[in-house]
Amino acid sequence: MGMLAIDARDVEKTFRSGWLRRRETRALRGVSLTVERGAIVGVLGPNGAGKTTLLSILATLLTPDRGTITVLGHDVVREAGLLRRRLNMASGRPSFLWSLRVGEIVAFYGRLYGLSGRALRARVDALIELTELGPYRRVPYSDLSTGLKQRVALAKSLVNEPELLFLDEPTLGLDPDVAGRVRGHIARLRREAGITIVLTTHYMREADELCDEIAFIKGGQILARGTPGELKRQIRLGEVIALKLDPVRVPWLAEMPGVLRCAEIDGWVECTVDEAEKRLPEILRLLHADGVVIRNVQVHEPELEEVFVELAR
Amino acid sequence: MSWRGELLAVWAVTLRNALMGARNVFFFFELLFWPIVGVLSIGLMSRFLELTPAQASFVLVGTIALSIVNVCQLEVAYAVLLDVWSKSLKHQFLAPIGIRHLTLGSWVIGMVRSLLVFVLLAALGRWAFDFHVLQPGWVVLLTFLLGCFLTAWVVGVAVCALITLFGNRAEAFAWASVNMVLVLAGIYYPISVLPDFIAAIAKAIPLTYFLDAYRSHYGFESEFAAPIATGLALSALYAALAHWAFLAAIQRARRTGLLLKMSE
Repeated sequence: MGMLAIDARDVEKTFRSGWLRRRETRALRGVSLTVERGAIVGVLGPNGAGKTTLLSILATLLTPDRGTITVLGHDVVREAGLLRRRLNMASGRPSFLWSLRVGEIVAFYGRLYGLSGRALRARVDALIELTELGPYRRVPYSDLSTGLKQRVALAKSLVNEPELLFLDEPTLGLDPDVAGRVRGHIARLRREAGITIVLTTHYMREADELCDEIAFIKGGQILARGTPGELKRQIRLGEVIALKLDPVRVPWLAEMPGVLRCAEIDGWVECTVDEAEKRLPEILRLLHADGVVIRNVQVHEPELEEVFVELAR
Repeated sequence: MSWRGELLAVWAVTLRNALMGARNVFFFFELLFWPIVGVLSIGLMSRFLELTPAQASFVLVGTIALSIVNVCQLEVAYAVLLDVWSKSLKHQFLAPIGIRHLTLGSWVIGMVRSLLVFVLLAALGRWAFDFHVLQPGWVVLLTFLLGCFLTAWVVGVAVCALITLFGNRAEAFAWASVNMVLVLAGIYYPISVLPDFIAAIAKAIPLTYFLDAYRSHYGFESEFAAPIATGLALSALYAALAHWAFLAAIQRARRTGLLLKMSE
């Protein structure tokens, strides 16, 4: 196992609100999470699952009620000041001072991290180039579109060259092409700068594309953890063998060993099987023997989205 | 953090507030409109009531002090308010800076702005009401201004603490308490005219002593033995308390999640 960027154990957080009638919301219930240096880990889960709370605790914005958390070798509560120099965060709902221009926002945060003079100018220039914000450098933040605001947030989050970056729904509300470019930036950050990235997202394709590992959180607990492939196997959703047959209806298919279920969709027979590699030859042999004409065959893994729906149920 | 890092963080906040101020027409309005209205109305009222030059100076000193403190404390409060209004508070507290950088950076620009206000009001007072701010001399004047700035710092940091503690719903309450403190400090009257229990509160406010010291050069006998020393000592005490309160409020906001809520 490589060096750990994050080692969180049994983290608990309860929010209390109301003055007269106290209300309690248990946001995290004994969450444990380890993240290796240089990895991209996705934290997925339905709304209110505790994703943002977990990220905020790891980024020192919130203090946990219980648990031990070491981030980049620092205790997240006792050494928060030291840790803040080495990490950063960007949110999918960014907000900065409305009158400041793009270049000024990045420079402001650069100064807070100790940059000045030529070094500051060089860093601001580099980040503006990286996030393709050149034409908007002198535009006030309030005049930017959502996508541009998100790029400003990304530029700001890289101003201290963080070793660990938290991205909270980084492509929320973006057009597909802009979202694709942001994903490209994220992948490049890990590839070229070796930054460890922890991100939350509602877009399963994004998680599938970017993440080495995924932690699925619901009700303040991590329910499943693994690579996207492992998660799909862990949930036992099976694989789908889609067949274009003539005749379309073959009643005995659903009765075959290893076939979990069969359904007819748009002229295709979709059989969910435990292992496609093992079941496909037998299915094809029996279909042939039964005189059924096989016009087309496709095999696909379940989408991460299906895993998400299954876990969120 | 090194001295260079300390200064850079303070400078970052100063520059940010200066840029925000320069681009906001309402900030400019705050800077000019209310202070001028204050001095003109108080000056004209003193003329209507046929106050002696010394009495007119007494109330004009009060209204100028009120403007200086108000403009400066508002700027200190912007250390948090700008980020609360723009919902960017979490970015601020994700960065490795302390509240000292925020409040000092804002205070610097607050002093610059309130000095501008002071120069303007002093010129207006001289031109319209024959009131001379330099009559007591440079040292006394600078001490008086320092007292106003220190009071503003304490009040501004206290406002930051209240807002961080209770959220932006507490904004109105914070401003009301600020104005109450200023009114109690004997802005327009000597605190000897106040009922005993209110006078006791007034004696706990540093500005009371700085006003007393400055006015003593306009023919009013000082009510206190060592007003400057007392004012400075009280300012130091409250500065420490306000700083501690703000720090505790931030820690609480990290615990309760208010820091995130104010960024949503």
